[in-house]
Parts: sequence; structure tokens; C-alpha cells
Amino acid sequence: MANSKLPAGVQDVLPRECSILTGLKLKLQKKFSLAGFSPVLSAGLEYYDTFSGSENALPEEKMFKMTDTDGKLLVLRPDTTLSIARIAATKLGQDRARLSYFADKYDLERAGGLTSREIYQAGVECLGEEGAFSDAQAIAFAIECLKETGLKDFIIDIGHVGYFKGLLEESGLTPNAAEGVRACINRKDTMNAERLLQKAGVKEDALNNILALPALFGGAEILSEAEKLTKNACALGAVSHLKEIDRLLVQMGYEGYVSYDLGMIKPLSYYSGIVFSGLVKDLGAPVLSGGRYDNLADAFGKHMPAVGFAMGLKRILVALERQGALPEEQKPLVIVAEKGKEAEWYRAFLEKTSRGERVRLSALTGEEGANKEREEGFEVLYMGGNA
Amino acid sequence: MITFALAKGRLATESAELLARCGVDTAVLYEETRKLVLTSADGNYRFFLVKPSDVPVYVEAGVADLGVVGKDTLIEEDRDIYEMLDLGFGECSLCLAGFPERKDVLTSPALRVATKYVNTAKQLFQERGEDVEIISLHGSIELAPVTGLSDVIFDVVQTGSTLKANGLVVLEQVFTGITARLVANKVSLKTKSAEILPLIAKCKEEVA
Repeated sequence: MANSKLPAGVQDVLPRECSILTGLKLKLQKKFSLAGFSPVLSAGLEYYDTFSGSENALPEEKMFKMTDTDGKLLVLRPDTTLSIARIAATKLGQDRARLSYFADKYDLERAGGLTSREIYQAGVECLGEEGAFSDAQAIAFAIECLKETGLKDFIIDIGHVGYFKGLLEESGLTPNAAEGVRACINRKDTMNAERLLQKAGVKEDALNNILALPALFGGAEILSEAEKLTKNACALGAVSHLKEIDRLLVQMGYEGYVSYDLGMIKPLSYYSGIVFSGLVKDLGAPVLSGGRYDNLADAFGKHMPAVGFAMGLKRILVALERQGALPEEQKPLVIVAEKGKEAEWYRAFLEKTSRGERVRLSALTGEEGANKEREEGFEVLYMGGNA
Repeated sequence: MITFALAKGRLATESAELLARCGVDTAVLYEETRKLVLTSADGNYRFFLVKPSDVPVYVEAGVADLGVVGKDTLIEEDRDIYEMLDLGFGECSLCLAGFPERKDVLTSPALRVATKYVNTAKQLFQERGEDVEIISLHGSIELAPVTGLSDVIFDVVQTGSTLKANGLVVLEQVFTGITARLVANKVSLKTKSAEILPLIAKCKEEVA
């Protein structure tokens, strides 16, 4: 018998799950289209060099690699945002674009639990736009998309990399040391952050400000708190930007859907402004992730400030299941043709489908066929006579 | 309801005592039972008692909101979770240990290291540019050098009495200040903040 196993970290999606997943995709596709986004699909195979370039490099250990016939190194789509920035900067010939996608991305690293190596994402990217209104729109649309999926009890948690960057400026840390501190702050590990900062000889003021970061999360009130902590222009700029976004979101009617965390500093180096995550009470991992990446397209020869987000559709499915919000399984109506009148019943079947009814024309015929379909639990249309 | 994953073994008693001081109803932890999921009488808390290395797994997946586990396990497991508090108890260090008269083995070209902290040991020797053979064990690590399975061991040392009883000494303290930590799931901290934050604040007062 042929090998029927799958490699670690990937799953087949079976009919019940797949039909719900497809349903989610259809809903979101419509949502994206109605909001003026144009769909794109980036190539699944790309050059390793595209993703390993100096500034926006993805970690080497996260990419599936293979060699092309000419010996060049290829990768299996490790990130969609970067590919879309590449497309927008090099192929569309316009300064602004709102693009959407549905695609799998692949992650070579550890998998297990809610983390798969093949991640089915739905996402949008707003390219060539900047400012608080652009950011607020992206967050508002993220909320609308999660509502569309049927999720309840979710929040969008918002941070800004500028605040941390500002505090880093004051500290005088080398990029290497800064990455170590970032990782500690991102997991709210103040003790090790303190150790690293002390080792690097960071002055007490700057040190205390950075160590305050992990506790700076909660409602909009933490923004005023953060404002009092520093005099750094970059950090203060980040806070006033977030305040403006909050003002807009409140006016747009999204109060209660958002929270803030200035200690959220994601590892992807291309984020340059706001960063945000969609969190659901019933799931231990984010269902949505996004942010602003103003300099990503620069590497492809065009400056296009941009903001976007992606949703993990399989995680949303798990969250919906835990919230008891999955739709019931709908079995199709089964038409069984009378022997000798197959073509007649085929026309009846065609007519029903064209009216939007979900039916299956059985390959079995006659009274026997009808009984067999009934035994398998299907509702059967068989009159043993005229169609 | 807040769900805890607590490490069985050396940290179990002190974890339960600390939570009790913070107002958590922990009576159920002292009952003799074979149940794996323990729920407090008031229905506000649920506990899983698991192997230390499994605590970060439960917390990362969000099956448990909070966990108490040693820093040694956190270093080894490297999970995507929040490390909220240093609880101060269960202090020990991660050490290289072996026979005193063979201290030079540390620089021998194919050093054999027995440990249950495989990832940490790999990273440590990689950073130092030393090629070693790592032997993965799950318990009684001290037996490895005694029987000749390894040259040294890389393990937690609390009092050093097991080492001494087997004629071994600490050759190098690699990580000191290994203590119990309160960890949190990244999503629970935000979505259940009304329940979780006051508890963390109380813990912080208690251990200060």
C-alpha cells in the first residue's frame, strides 16, 4: 500500500470542516470586495533572496527552501504581505492600492496545537496611504471582518513600535542588544530585560522607562500614562498617534472593541507604526494580526507606506467551534431517477440547481436506489413517475 | 473562571501556599484524589497538576490561563507566553557538574553531557563554539557520570546534596537565580483581565 501519512504540522481539511472554511472565505471575499479591495494571488514559489534581504529579512529557520534547476534557492511562500508589497511596488504602476488575498503561507519552524506549518490566511493590505485615519480604518475593518465571521467576545489589541523605538533611542543600545530586550519585553519578562539593560550600561531613567513597558496595557487611559513617562519625541509621537486613532475609533462606534498594549513589540522587523492583534476569549492564540509597514516596499524600488492585516481562518474555525457558533451540517436533497427516464430527471436536477437549490442527482436509479439513499440518511426525491 | 497549570514536584507546595495567601481557594489541591482536573468549591478556579515541562505547553495553548513553573523549564521550552512575576521561591541554578579530579574534561574535544535540558545545553555549547555530545535523559541525571555514560551533567542544583552523595561537584554555574515564575497566556491576560490582573497584583504584593 502506498504511504498515506502526512508530514508533521500539516492537516487535510475534510468535507465538514472544508465546507465551513469555504463558507467563511465566501463571506470575507464579499466583504473585501464591497469595501473596495481588489483580489491578488502572489506566486507560491519565490526566490529566497526576496525574503532574506538586509532590512526586512524573515528568519532563515522559518522558510521552506528548495533549489531550482539553475541552482537558485527558492522558498515556499513564507509571508504574503511582503509579496504583495513587491507586486504593488513593481507591477501595478499606481501610487495607491487596496488589495486582498486568500493564501496559504508556510512556516518551517515548530508546529503543534494551534500552530500549523501551513497557515491559511485571509488578508488585506492598504498600500500608498498613511495617517491616523488610514490606521483607524484598517482597525475598524478588522473588527468588521471578525464580526462577519460570526465571532463574539473579541478585542483588537493595539500597540505602536514607535514608542519602544523612542525609548531605545534614549538607551543607546546596539541593534543586537535591542533585539534581545525586545524579545524580553514582548513576553513581559522584566527580569531578564533588566539584566540585559544593566549589562549594556543603560542609564537609570531610560532603563526604568523600558521596564515600565510590559505593564503599559489596558484601555485608552494607559496612553496618557505612557505620555507622562518619557520626553522622547518619537515615543510621544507614537502615543499621540494612538490617541488620535482612539478618538476616531470611538467616533466611528468601536469603543469597547479595542485595547492597547505598548509592550506588544512583534518580532517581524518590517513593522514601522501601529501593530495589532485580534484576540478571542475562547482561544489562546491571536486570530488576526496586522500593522503598519511604511518602508517594506522601498526594497522593491518604490516608497509605499502601508497598513494591513491577516486572519488565520483555521484558528477562527476553532474559536467558532468553542463558541458553539458553527452552522449545522446541511445535507443535500437527493434526486433518484426512474430507470429509463434518467435524462428527464437530469433536466429536473439541472433546473433545481439553477434555482439555487442544493441537490445531488444519485447515480443509483429506481425504487431500490431511492431506498438505499434513504438508508444513508438522505432526503430523497423519487416519485417513480414523471419528473 | 481562572485555570491554573501548576508544576508537580519541588514547586507544588509553595505554589499552592502562595495562591492561598492571594485569596485563591486551594483546598481542593490537598484532597486525596486521582482526578486530573480539580475545581475549587466556589467554582472560581480550576487546577491542572502537570509535569513541569508541560506547564508552558498548557499555558501557550490557552488551555490554562496562568501557570507556575521554574525558570529552568521556561528557558528550555521557549514558549510564546508572558512571564509575569518572579515568585522568588524554589531558587536553584543550572550547572555543569562532574568529578572534581577531572575538571579538564570541560575543554576536551568530544565532551559527553547528560541532561534533561537538551535545548538549553545545545544552545549553550553552540554559543561557546564547542562540539559536544548531548545525551538526553529524563531523571537521575547524576547516574550518568557515575556509570561512565557521560563526562559531565548539565542540571539544576538546589542544595548540592545529591551531587555530593555521588562524589560530584559543580564545575560551573551557568544560570543562577532560577526561581519559580508566574506565567500567563497572551490572550487570557487581555480577554480575562478583570479576573487575572487583580490576582497578579496580589501575588506581586505577597512576593515583594
